[in-house]
Formats: sequence, C-alpha cells, structure tokens
Amino acid sequence: MNAEIPIARPAVAHRDDAPAAPKMSIRHLDFHYGAFHALKDVSLDVGEKRVTAFIGPSGCGKSTLLRVLNRMYSLYPGQRASGEVLLNGSDILGPDVDLNLLRAKVGMVFQKPTPFPMSIRDNVAFGVSLYERLTAREMDERVEWALTKAALWNEVKDKLGQSGTALSGGQQQRLCIARAVAVQPEVVLFDEPTSALDPISTAKVEELIAELKSDYTIAIVTHNMQQAARVSDCTAYMYLGELIEFGETDELFLRPRRRETEDYITGRFG
Amino acid sequence: MTEHTIKQFDADLEAIRTGVLTMGGLVEAQLARAIGVLENDAAEGLVDRVGADERQINQMQIQIDQQCAQIIARRQPAAGDLRMVLTIVKITNDLERIGDEVKKVAYKASASPDDKLVRVRFYDVVRAAGLAQRMLRMALDAFARLDVAAAAEIVDSDDELDAAFGGILRQLISYMMEDPRTISASLEIVFIARSIERIGDHAKNIAEAVVQAVRGTDVRHATAAEIRAEVAGP
Amino acid sequence: MGAERNAIYRRRVLVNRFNLLMSLGAMAFGMLFLFWILAVLFGNGVAALSPTLFSQPTPPPGSAGGLANAIAGSVAMVAVATLVGAPVGVLAGVYLAEFGAGSRFADATRFINDILLSAPSIVLGLVVYIAWVARVGHFSGWAGSAALGLIAIPVVVRTTENMLRLVPASLREAAVALGAPRWRVILQVTLRAVRGGVITGVLLAVARIAGETAPLLFTALNNQFWSTDMNGPMANLPVVIFQFAMSPYDDWQALAWAGALLITLAVLALNVLARTVFRQDIH
Repeated sequence: MNAEIPIARPAVAHRDDAPAAPKMSIRHLDFHYGAFHALKDVSLDVGEKRVTAFIGPSGCGKSTLLRVLNRMYSLYPGQRASGEVLLNGSDILGPDVDLNLLRAKVGMVFQKPTPFPMSIRDNVAFGVSLYERLTAREMDERVEWALTKAALWNEVKDKLGQSGTALSGGQQQRLCIARAVAVQPEVVLFDEPTSALDPISTAKVEELIAELKSDYTIAIVTHNMQQAARVSDCTAYMYLGELIEFGETDELFLRPRRRETEDYITGRFG
Repeated sequence: MTEHTIKQFDADLEAIRTGVLTMGGLVEAQLARAIGVLENDAAEGLVDRVGADERQINQMQIQIDQQCAQIIARRQPAAGDLRMVLTIVKITNDLERIGDEVKKVAYKASASPDDKLVRVRFYDVVRAAGLAQRMLRMALDAFARLDVAAAAEIVDSDDELDAAFGGILRQLISYMMEDPRTISASLEIVFIARSIERIGDHAKNIAEAVVQAVRGTDVRHATAAEIRAEVAGP
Repeated sequence: MGAERNAIYRRRVLVNRFNLLMSLGAMAFGMLFLFWILAVLFGNGVAALSPTLFSQPTPPPGSAGGLANAIAGSVAMVAVATLVGAPVGVLAGVYLAEFGAGSRFADATRFINDILLSAPSIVLGLVVYIAWVARVGHFSGWAGSAALGLIAIPVVVRTTENMLRLVPASLREAAVALGAPRWRVILQVTLRAVRGGVITGVLLAVARIAGETAPLLFTALNNQFWSTDMNGPMANLPVVIFQFAMSPYDDWQALAWAGALLITLAVLALNVLARTVFRQDIH
C-alpha cells in the first residue's frame, strides 16, 4: 500500500491489474418469461479473461442472465430479452445472429453433469466435429488436450471408449468442462457447476476455473457465496431481477457498498 | 443491523463483543489502580492487584482470540461481520499491550525512591495518566456504541498526550542537567511517562479499529482532520 | 396418552392388514383367470403341435395340414406394417416431443393420435376396407399391412414422444450449448439417449398388431393356399384361428389351438425382449 495515501481507498482505485477490456457488455437488459419480468434493466461488463460471479437468492435472475449470454433461452417460446448484449462489440440479441456459431463461442457447463450417451472420447469430440474437420490423429490430440485441461486425462486415458455416463459425478462434470473447452470457445458459462458435487470434486472444479481463466472469459452462477469469493475477480449481487451491486470481489466481500448486499453475504437475508 | 438467519452466529458474535468489553473494563480498573499507586506509593497491595490483573487480561486475550478463530472457521463471516472479527482481534491485542504498560507503570512507581523531587514530578505524570485513562474510556465507549465520530476526538487527545509526554521529558532533562544525582530517579519517571504515552497510542489504535469495523476504511496513520472527513462521508 | 396412541396404532395395523388382504384377494382373482386361460391354451395347444405345422398350408376339413401359409402371411404383413409404421411413428414422436411445444398443430396431432391409440381396431380395419379394398375390388396383403400399420403408428408415436420427454432438458441444452444444430442434437444425443425406450415401443407395437384379427378380416381376409403375393388375399394366424375355432371340425379346432399358442408365445417373447432392451437402457 502506498504510504502517501493516508486513508486507504477502495482497492479498485489502485489495482495493478486494472479492469480488463469487457468481453461481453450487457446494456439495459430486460427479460420476460411470458408476463413475468425476470430481469430489470441490468447493465454490466464481463471482463476479458476474468471470472465474473453472479450471486443472489433463488429466483433473483442470475441463471436467467447467464442463459441470455449464449441465447439458451431462445430454445423456449415465450422467453424474450430486450436491450443489448455485446460480444466483442456486436449485439448477440439481434434476429440475424447465428445461434449455433454464437454457442460455439460461448460455451456452457450446467448444474447437473450432462454426459452424452456415448463414449468419453466421443463426448469430447462431439462439439469439435461440428465445426472442425480434423484427422483421427488430430482429434485424438484435441481430446487429450481438452481432457488434460479439465484435469481428467489421467483418470480416463485408459478407458476413452467407455461410456461417459459410467464416470463418477465429479468426473462427469469435468468431462462436461472438457467438452466445453474442446471447442475452444471465447467465453465459458458455468451454471452452478458444483451444486451436485462433493467437496473434493468441488475443489477440483474450482481449481479448474482458476486455471481456465488465463485463456477464457468465465461467468459463473453460484448459490455458494464462499465459492464466488474464492473463484471470482468480480461479483454481481442480484435480487428480484435487479443488479444490486457489481464490483471487484475483494471489495464486495469486505466492503459492500449496498446494505442489501451486506445483508445477503453476511447471512442476514430473509 | 438486522439479525443473522443463523441465530447462533449472532449469539457467538455478541459473546465475543461482550468479552472485549469485559476485558476493556478490567484494563480500565487496572489502570485506575496503577494511578492509585502513582498517587500513593505506600499502597503495596495495589501493586500486586495490578500484576494479577495483567495475568487475567492475558488469559482473556487468548480466550477471545480463540473465539474469533472459531467464528472464522465455522461461520465464514463476510463484509461487516468479518471486519468486526478482525477488529476485535486487533483491539484485544491493544488491550493486552495496555495491560503490560499499566503493569510497568505500577511496578516502576512503587519501586521509585521516596524522594521529594520525584514526588513533585509525579504530579505531571498523574495528569498524563488521567488523560490516557480518559482516552481508553472513550475508545471502549466508541467500540461499545460503534461510534465512529468519537475516533477523531481520541486522535486529538493523543496529540495532547504526546505533548504532555514531551513536556515531562523536557522538564526531567533540565532537572538532570541541573543535578546529576537525580538522573536515576528521573529515568524511572521517563519510563513511566513513556508507558503512559504508549497507553494513549493503543487507545488510539482501538478507536481507529472501530472506524475500520464500521466504515470499512483503514484510518491508521490518518490525521484527525482526515478521519473527520472520512467519518462525515456517506 | 400413551395408551391412546397405542389404540390408534393398533387400529392402523388392523386397517393395514385388512387392505393388504383385500388387494391380495383381488390379485388372486385376476391371476386365477389368467392362469386358467393359459393352462387351457397350453393344454390344447401343445397337444395340437406337430412338425407339419410349419411345413404344410392350412388343409381342407378332414385332411392333414399345418399353418405354414398363415404364419408366413402374418410375418409378412406384420413386417411390412412395422417397417413402414415404426419410422413414421418415431418421426412423428420426435416432432411432437422436440418441436411441438406450444404448437396447435402438434396439440391436434397428439389428440388425434390418442384417439387412434384407443380406437377399436375393427374401426381401423373398416376404414382401410372402405378406402382401399372396396375401391380396388379385392382383399390383399398390402391392405392388411396398412391396417396393421395404422394400429402400430400411434403406439410408436406415444412411446417415442414419452421417452423423449423423459430426456432431461439439460442434456438437450448441453448439446445445443456446444453449437450443435437441432437435427444433430436429436439424432446424436436425445434419440440416442432413449434408444432402448424407442425400440421397446416398436416391439410393443409389433406385439400388439401380431394378434389383431378384426382389421385383417376386412383387408387381407384369408387364403387357403400357400401364397406370397401381397396383392391378393393372404392367410394369417388370427383370422385362421378365428375361422378354424368356429368350425365344427376337430382337426381345424386343433390347428386353431396350435395357432393361438404360437401367437401367445410370440407376443410373450416380444414382451420379454422389450423389457430386456428397456432395462439395458435404464442402466
């Protein structure tokens, strides 16, 4: 800390790693499930190669927000978003956006592990084969690379032909991470990735997120505030569809600016 | 502040805060006894009480620190709760150090030769001790009420105490230069005054810790004016 | 207090015992008739089994023969009905489950399918008779296949749709999240996840149409002789059983028992197979 600054100001003001350029910018986003107004005028930036966490009580809209970032909601009629969500500067909410290409760039890992009913190798290769023509050898290398990235290679290298559904829950989730990473997306969304896992598997997934950060932009929704505190650089606290507070995780967990945030993260909620 | 969803968390935090206030009360009583020793060095039993107080204060610090470690391990406090727990660890540390200084004051005072010159000089020292006592009470009150406005006042008082210490020092130096036979007795008084000045510093630390707990801003090494500006803010 | 609770508890035990006894009784009542039917069937059917059953066509009264033409006809018509009906049914089921959410057309399709599912098979036979047999002027194996196919399709549609609905949305979303186009998601992920269930549905449909008599009476009718011409009337087990069982001739009646046993065994085998396939899918 600088000796000439008599009163320590919020850490943001003199951080060495000033906030990175935004990878995704959310501007005045509103979201409706039919008549239900699920997100209300949400604006925030998801910094490039940083981990942005979304916390808040159930039903606060954090998962909804995540599902806007890869237009997952478009699968369902009656769900609509308005406002702007910029990925690398261009709006992804427009009608002309190629959703498949968008989702190839913005990958997602879900709450429950979702291995496909196929071999471990094919699980990882599935997404890759959609957009790249690789020789069998290149594909093997890619599969190994992705499984290594997901810290799963050593556990499955001798049984790549076995069904992905035969793995343990924690392994399945890492397989899903490998699958998401294999297509080399720019952003990876994690929707409560450890809520179905035991503490050891949870720790492994968190460690993985920390490692993936050097290559990917990451957004994570979690019910576990300590998890958000552990893995993220920035944290957004949401409540009833509104963004209550968004800031550096170091700040938000020590000196939240808003009373609502303080009550939630200190366990005084409801 | 509203209650935690987990009621035991509130109970644990409250128990720790009460412990700190009890410890503070003990330190205050110990300081009062030490001042009694300064005023009347014949009080032999009083010195022993001050020593016993110091040991009890040490035990309380250990106990409160343990409670703080447990609450961190078991409840993962965040934001205001976390700052409060960290602040309490700092405050117990300062209180324990005050207890050490008070003990030094009492022991040195009782060991001083019954010299007329020294007796007269104690007058200024007792006045400084009274100032330190007032600062300690204010700091503990600020903690009990989480009153950040009092912090600036305590910093002002500390400047006053520092000035008083400087005055005592200058006076004693002139005595020592006049009459070298007073050197050893004067040095004893210097040590006592030094301890009292330290007590003021620790009281100031406590007040600053309260500001950090309540406001989340670190006001150590800030001037009274800066603290006033910070405390007046939103 | 304690005694009171004991009284309530004792009463509950008694009520429990009474209900258990009643359900066991009801089950025994149903099982009794089932086993009675099976015992009679096996008793008469096994006695009538003979090697010529599979080699000789149906005989005129009083002479020796078998059921070869009826077995071949049944197999041919069921096979054609399945080969045409199963893909149609699976595709329709995929449409209803994957694309039909919130669509009126899908709701109407589902409703009509449910009506077809519970429509008496004789009605379907009649429809094919009016629409086809009456127009071309003669009974045929093709018309029989068409009637059987109409019965099979709703079964396959229903099971396929239900199985696909069991696929967790997250699995579908996971595939979509990788940027996979819809058809690949369906073919490679969702349909594959319920492969066993869909096959089970098809097998159950086959079992259902294998024993149908009424629609065939109006469409394929029967044929005394060996024939592989699907354009003409065709022999088949259910109609043969129907005709021979009603006849006054002992040897025809014996052949009817044998045919009934064959169909029952075939349906049983299909059911067991369906269960095995389904169970593999679950684990």
